[in-house]
Amino acid sequence: MIIQIIIAMISTLAFAVLFHVPKSEYLYCALNGGIGWAAYRICETCGFGAVASSLWATLVLTLVARVLSAVRKMPSTVFLIAGIFSLVPGSGIYYTAYYLIMNQLSRSSEKGIDTFKIAGAIVLGIIFGLALPQSWFNRLGNLFEKNKKNKEHQTNTPQQS
Amino acid sequence: MSQSKEILNLAVSIGEELLKSGAEIYRVQETVERVMEAYGVQDYNVFVLTNGIFATVHENREDAGSMVRNVPIGDVNLGKVARLNQLSREICQGTYSLKDAYIHLEQCKNAASVSNMALVLSCGIGSAGFCYLLGGYPFDSLLSFFLGMLLQAFLLAAGKRHTSKFLMDILGSALVTIGGLVLYILGLEIQFDRVIIGGIILLMPGVALVTAIRDLFNGDYLSGGIRLMDALLTGMCIAIGVGAAVKTFQLLGGGMLPL
Repeated sequence: MIIQIIIAMISTLAFAVLFHVPKSEYLYCALNGGIGWAAYRICETCGFGAVASSLWATLVLTLVARVLSAVRKMPSTVFLIAGIFSLVPGSGIYYTAYYLIMNQLSRSSEKGIDTFKIAGAIVLGIIFGLALPQSWFNRLGNLFEKNKKNKEHQTNTPQQS
Repeated sequence: MSQSKEILNLAVSIGEELLKSGAEIYRVQETVERVMEAYGVQDYNVFVLTNGIFATVHENREDAGSMVRNVPIGDVNLGKVARLNQLSREICQGTYSLKDAYIHLEQCKNAASVSNMALVLSCGIGSAGFCYLLGGYPFDSLLSFFLGMLLQAFLLAAGKRHTSKFLMDILGSALVTIGGLVLYILGLEIQFDRVIIGGIILLMPGVALVTAIRDLFNGDYLSGGIRLMDALLTGMCIAIGVGAAVKTFQLLGGGMLPL
């Protein structure tokens, strides 16, 4: 499980490079990818099934992306796009096409509908994640900024404390 | 004089660059509007689509200006989006004169991007990682790594010739599948399906899907629809590419592939 999360982080990092994410944000993208995959695996082991797991994982991923975007002062797309890649139903598309070619139509349509369900779940996850008002995240970002400033202030003037 | 036209040109150029790099519609629209306001233009109208920007300023005055830009869907470059976002923020704070803003925009356009070598390598790593996550063995991942690199190299080469995007998707996925088939014929002990899925992960319409949803959710139905259509067609093209390669293999007497 831990190895899987690390691998997920590395692949997300690779995708971050592919989409020209700024170098300073590589680490946070990887973090988001790891969190997304961990959420997916945890939901799956709890017996949620692929569709519900995708929904929850995407929701977590979107929320983390928004928090990161508020804290790092970056567009949230930067964190979202790289992170979402590990959840996109790539295997579904492949199996649907494969069974179609092999003339196993019932299995093909089964896989096709599954793929659509997972894609729909991802869509819903993102929508729920985006539905929370931006002001909450802004406040979080401000809070973080203030903390940072306080800390800098303290370290710059140690004789006062 | 025609100051308003220059402002319009700057704002729309920033918007165009954002749109090309894969930003959402509302971000482009908001950026263009804010830049115009930052330079004191009050009377403006902006309309942004996935592949075009339309804008007018001061319609009732002597120095009225209008602009239409056709923006083809380009490569995703989130670094550019982030940098332009920062630029527009600074413009809104009134840091730059009009001339400075142009200079900074040029800098954003020409900022160094990742080298082709790094792109090929990271595509391989992404493919290998994804193959492993789907339940492939380390050896499958290794082969997926090479297929991913092959795909990215092909896409870079094809991109120079301005091949149609759909053709690139079909040929790319077919190429990866053929590569996998070759390995299979060579008699390597691989999980064929996992290796291929890992190899074609780069082509998956993940970006299009995410952006489509964001656009739809912000009320830009037409733009969201365009992106969603793009995502669906890309998925279909991948299926066609994989399917064609496997079918050809079968017809040549390769028989049923193990799953």
